[in-house]
Amino acid sequence: MKTRILGFVALAAVAVMLVVALFVVPADLNQGDAQRIMYPHVASAWLGYLSFGVTALAGILWLWKRDLRFDAVAVAGAEIGVMFTAFAIWGGMMWGRPIWGVFWQWEDPRLTTTALLLALYVGYLLFRRLTDDPERRATRAAIVGIVAAVDIPIVHFSVEWWRGLHQTATIGSPDRVLNPAAPMVFVGTLLGTLAAFMLAWLYFMIRRYQLARAELGREEQVRRERIEAARAPHPAASPTEVAR
Amino acid sequence: MTDAGYVIAAYGVIVGGLALYTLSLWRRLRAVQRADDEGR
Amino acid sequence: MSALRADARIALEIARKDAVGELRGRHAIVSTLFFSAVLLLLFGFALGPDSARLAAAAPGLLWLAVVFAGMLAVSRLHLLETDDDALEQLALYPISRRAIYAGKALAGLAVMLLLGLLVLAAVGILFAVDVGAAWLPLVATVVLGAIGIAAVGTFYAGVTVRLRAREVMLPLLMLPVLAPLLLAAVKATAAALAGDPFGDLGAWLQLLVAFDVIMVVAGAATYGYLLED
Repeated sequence: MKTRILGFVALAAVAVMLVVALFVVPADLNQGDAQRIMYPHVASAWLGYLSFGVTALAGILWLWKRDLRFDAVAVAGAEIGVMFTAFAIWGGMMWGRPIWGVFWQWEDPRLTTTALLLALYVGYLLFRRLTDDPERRATRAAIVGIVAAVDIPIVHFSVEWWRGLHQTATIGSPDRVLNPAAPMVFVGTLLGTLAAFMLAWLYFMIRRYQLARAELGREEQVRRERIEAARAPHPAASPTEVAR
Repeated sequence: MTDAGYVIAAYGVIVGGLALYTLSLWRRLRAVQRADDEGR
Repeated sequence: MSALRADARIALEIARKDAVGELRGRHAIVSTLFFSAVLLLLFGFALGPDSARLAAAAPGLLWLAVVFAGMLAVSRLHLLETDDDALEQLALYPISRRAIYAGKALAGLAVMLLLGLLVLAAVGILFAVDVGAAWLPLVATVVLGAIGIAAVGTFYAGVTVRLRAREVMLPLLMLPVLAPLLLAAVKATAAALAGDPFGDLGAWLQLLVAFDVIMVVAGAATYGYLLED
């Protein structure tokens, strides 16, 4: 019930922020209307990172406490993280085309890092599907998730350096909206969009967690039924067998 | 495509994606509950 | 004998067993090396015939070949175990999981070093770059890259060894993680070949070292959980 209320609040918040970002806040002087894309783009990127942090942490907690509820959190984080990361990349590309003239810019460290992030966690999700036993799946996923999380700072660092050697002045960097000198109305809109998306994120995490636990329960039930079916005497035994 | 087109494409996919994911979650939750009810 | 020394001995034993197993089954190593040569040829066809363009691309092609051939090589080292569930037997012995990981990674490293140095030589010949002049930093780069690929590859080979769709899962999981290594190794190689004009060779090598250290630690720490399966 509380979750449903959260869902409605999130929906309202997102709707309000959409109106603000699209119609209320003024366009950027240099980038024009395209700059409006930055609000959901940056918010999605941050939520992607948050989600994957949750997944990595949940994996560690599973390895430590062996409570499958942590694994349910982990899969929720990964799935929702993949979604928000995909949004971030899409937003980045839609911003890039009008601003840079191209959909993809190898020199932009955020875009390339985010793409690798997506690859890491799509791999994580595909990997999860290959194991049926819940505990083994949780353990394997946890270690893959941990190594993926450990890789992320290295990716960041190395891609930044990689870019640094190409001293081309891009006319617009996505980070401009985060610049401390940016006008308050832009920063405010960004934070508002982040807050609204975060409410949605929380709602999704709770629902996905519930789904994961329900599916675990279902798996357990199916397994128990199979064991019982194997143990119980065959109900449709032929007369000849019964006679023996 | 004008700038507005890209803005619409960006927001459209993101908001649409959020809506679709919400529906997907609801559908999957209903499916598990139904299976549970049938199983009992 | 301290526990650490015992661990090291066990690791070396496993490494020796695996490496010898690979070398005796020379077929696998030869096939992997030949595969990398074929890759380089295909790169030549794809990006050539302009020699200047190929020479400029040489560092990238070198490391792509090493990474792709390396994936085949490390996945093989774990195949040796699955055939008779030797991995499970190994886990039953009261020896440190870290030692098992180290042993396998060392065997992988031996193969990767051989592969890396041979590919380096081949790239020098095929794409007309002078690998002899800057051989020291180039060899250093190959060694550091080999360590990273062996560490990451051994980990993911262990993780995917008993899965269906193993052939595609190993590259799918491994390649994104290797991206920083690829990036740094290519930059270091290019810098070394050009005589380090911007002075960034050291920085890239340091990044490789950091990658190697982090991945060896992460791999060793988590590998043990696999053996509990």
